[in-house]
Amino acid sequence: MKKIVVEGLSYKYPLAKKLSLNNLSFTIEQGEFIGIIGANLSGKTTLCQALVGLVPHFYHGSFKGKVIVAGMNTMEHNIAGLAEKVGLVFQNPFNQISGAKLTVYEEIAFSLENLGIPQDEMIRRIEEVLELLDIHHLRAHNPFQLSGGQMQRLAIASIMAIQPEIIVLDEPTSQLDPQGTEEVFKTVQQLSSQGVTIIMVEHKIEKLAAYAQKIALLHEGELIDFAPPEQLFARTDLHKLGVRPPIFTQVVKGIGLDNNESKVPVTLKDTYEWVVKKFGHSGS
Amino acid sequence: MKSISLYVDIQSPIHSIDPITKLIYTLVFILVPYILPHYEIAISCLILTLIILLTAKVIRQVIPIVSLSLLLISTIFIIQGLFYPGNSITAFKVIGIAFYHEGLRYALGISLKFINLLCCSAIIILTTRPSDLIEALVRLGLSPKLGYVMSSVLQIIPQMTGTTQKILDAQRSRGLETEGNIFIRVKAYIPLLIPLVMNSLIETNERSMALEVRAFNSKHRRTFLFEKKTSKKMLVIRYLILVFLLGAILWRFIK
Repeated sequence: MKKIVVEGLSYKYPLAKKLSLNNLSFTIEQGEFIGIIGANLSGKTTLCQALVGLVPHFYHGSFKGKVIVAGMNTMEHNIAGLAEKVGLVFQNPFNQISGAKLTVYEEIAFSLENLGIPQDEMIRRIEEVLELLDIHHLRAHNPFQLSGGQMQRLAIASIMAIQPEIIVLDEPTSQLDPQGTEEVFKTVQQLSSQGVTIIMVEHKIEKLAAYAQKIALLHEGELIDFAPPEQLFARTDLHKLGVRPPIFTQVVKGIGLDNNESKVPVTLKDTYEWVVKKFGHSGS
Repeated sequence: MKSISLYVDIQSPIHSIDPITKLIYTLVFILVPYILPHYEIAISCLILTLIILLTAKVIRQVIPIVSLSLLLISTIFIIQGLFYPGNSITAFKVIGIAFYHEGLRYALGISLKFINLLCCSAIIILTTRPSDLIEALVRLGLSPKLGYVMSSVLQIIPQMTGTTQKILDAQRSRGLETEGNIFIRVKAYIPLLIPLVMNSLIETNERSMALEVRAFNSKHRRTFLFEKKTSKKMLVIRYLILVFLLGAILWRFIK
């Protein structure tokens, strides 16, 4: 089932001279885990905002094309209406804290209260996400007193509690340590396996390559490629587009093992299997 | 960093009373001494309020507030004692300057009402979490947007103070002079303004986006995490207080 349909999406911020998104078209199926990569100013954040309706409802500017998320055309619904179906986790967790609630527990409840979720259901969902993101011990803390990483988990938890059909995450692990990053990826993958569609902008290429089923590569507002990681990172022009392939791919390419094939290994496990296939076991 | 509030976080029977009942008490007991301008009324209201503050174990926090107001009160006594329009009977003289009975009595009336006002307000301020009060008001029909503005200001201003400190530290590490005489210290705040204002604008913009995405403008009927039912006892107390107010108004008109 198609969860996201984008057709001919072009967008220019008010007062901007250049298009931030230039004629993008793609579709995403339900339960897919999609990564978005690209250099700075390539339009990643704008695309995320277009998926939740902030572009164009919040920014205005000139908008062309069509974005349909979970069956809703973003032009025909307001942001709050879309919020039930598609959630967005922003880059900066600090600015996502409502500021109106005194504890982590109440902060997660904020969106649920807005959506009119009954109390017992609210409590059930809050307990669930507190557990899932491992912040249950922080339930009574003031959200502003948390560390960057804890705030980031809280931001993710607040969106997950809404139980949207699609979750868009804009660099959700920027303030997390390697272990925290791994946990977020695992949690998100688990959601994806439960049928939630995931779109994630991320600079941690190795992680994204390991978890995402497909990766969208943006450059100056254009969609350059939209393919599974093994295929996308086989491109030879990545450097020019401002992205670097995963370290494993670089090693394979660096020693000339890839033979310009259309698929390259992107994870440690893939690379090991690739090498074994080429040379046989080290013991033999 | 804490939110700006004078709330005293302890357990007491008064703390557990719902915010609306306390708010009604505060408003009524501030108003009644004005409706019935007798010393006895003002003093009884004040005594009852003080008993409540004692029960709430917050009397210690009230003392500095009241002592600060003594300055204002003594000014009232001096000015009214000297210049009250109806002054005729001299009460006493200080270095040849006469203080009058009528003026001092009038000043006493104002002061009692004023101290009563401070103490009544202290009940709601010291024993109620601001967020609880605002939530209670939103339940009663206050616009959630207005409620949000009220409660977020309490939390976001301390955050801004934090940001100011960060910017100050950053500027200082780049050689900005911030210590010395008053002029140097005032001058040091000028380079803070632009980053602080820009920062706040950017943060506000992002926060409003985040609120949108978190369905703040949703058309659904809002629910509350803590569903609170007002107990019968509290309803009775609320009605009693309102009857008291009504009685005071009636008495005023009958007399």
